[in-house]
Amino acid sequence: MKKLIIAGAFFALMPLRAQEIKLPPNLEKLADRAHEVVDVTMDGPLLQLAARFLSNRDPDEARVKRLVAGLKGIYVKSYEFENSGEYDERDLEPLRAQLKAPGWTRIVGVKSKRSGDNADVFIKSDNGGITGLAVISAEPRELTIVQIIGAIQPEDLRDLGGNFGIPRLEFKNKQGKED
Amino acid sequence: MVFSIAYHFLRDRALAEEIAQDVFLQLFRNLNSMESGAHITFWLRRVTSNRCVDYVRKRQRRPEVALEETAELRHSDAPSDPLLSRKLQALVQSLPEKPRLVMIMRYQEDLMPEEIATVLDMPVRTVKSHLHRSLAMLREKMERSVGGTR
Amino acid sequence: MMDDFEKQLAEALRREEPSGNFEARVLAAVAREKDRRGSWMPGGFRWAAALAMTVVVVAGVGVEKYREAAAERVAGEAAKARLELALKITSAKLTKIRQQVNAVEQDQ
Repeated sequence: MKKLIIAGAFFALMPLRAQEIKLPPNLEKLADRAHEVVDVTMDGPLLQLAARFLSNRDPDEARVKRLVAGLKGIYVKSYEFENSGEYDERDLEPLRAQLKAPGWTRIVGVKSKRSGDNADVFIKSDNGGITGLAVISAEPRELTIVQIIGAIQPEDLRDLGGNFGIPRLEFKNKQGKED
Repeated sequence: MVFSIAYHFLRDRALAEEIAQDVFLQLFRNLNSMESGAHITFWLRRVTSNRCVDYVRKRQRRPEVALEETAELRHSDAPSDPLLSRKLQALVQSLPEKPRLVMIMRYQEDLMPEEIATVLDMPVRTVKSHLHRSLAMLREKMERSVGGTR
Repeated sequence: MMDDFEKQLAEALRREEPSGNFEARVLAAVAREKDRRGSWMPGGFRWAAALAMTVVVVAGVGVEKYREAAAERVAGEAAKARLELALKITSAKLTKIRQQVNAVEQDQ
């Protein structure tokens, strides 16, 4: 039998059409300087394959399965450096510029002079629903860019905080009481 | 496929598994350069063929012989199908390296001469010549082997 | 169109299967390769996917149903692990950002 069974969407066979935000070349080169790199690209077929192996019986996995059901792609790039100052925050401007495109809204922007952290969260909305999420987390020794494309329910965003051993974070009102 | 090409070339299961394992390890190292399933199949056939030839030449287990000198089998008393297969396998294995690979690609992998030419990186007319001569030789030797029982 | 002799040849040269533990030995060799290269999880993630791909190929050329299922399981678990990593990182970053926002709001 000549037919070869291939798991399809790995490596260069993966179509990247779902990815909306392109990483600028200067940021792609950071992989050479970083001492640890996480690079996860998951498009439709790979997401579907992963979802098939998520258990409906495990509450956490079932939640993830529901989250993933509406997604077209998940893209995570995280670079960790030995020292501060190994990347230039100005290189993030082309990325932020893309997130000013129609439909994208910055919902959170936090900058800390004390820690040097600078983080933004963007969502893309379409007909009242969320169709994309982007996170740019720029810390002195770590840069993380997340892009999730597809239908996301607001409760999924909260639920993300409760999965995989990360404690669920309750929103506190100004009196310090939980909402 | 990989093991089988090596096995029919070398007629040694352990050796064939060793070569197959090396080929898959090499595939693992080179996965990023694979463009498609068809590319992987092509790559596996070619690399396995090259590995087999390299092994034989390095170890000098079987000196290259001209097609006409390939061994004749002693006739058996009553040829039967399993024996027939073994005889044919032994005859194929006694062919020189290139004709042997051509026969394996044709009759194990069911490739056409043009495809064999691409995999083994040889001219199509050379492939056809190997096929023609090897077939004729194998037929003759089988007939002599079977004919000797009468 | 093959004549009878050629059909006998094709039968004699039909694909042979390696021994039952061949796939395990290939995976062990690949694992040693990974250790030799000293890759850890992020690279190891690419390794896991490469391993899954290699297993699929090994299983594919063996062409047996149980190998196909095993190969798909490895590929699926590798994909699931990648998804978990991606969501874990996203979750951690969102959580940290939320903590920073809460801290700013409480200061006001």
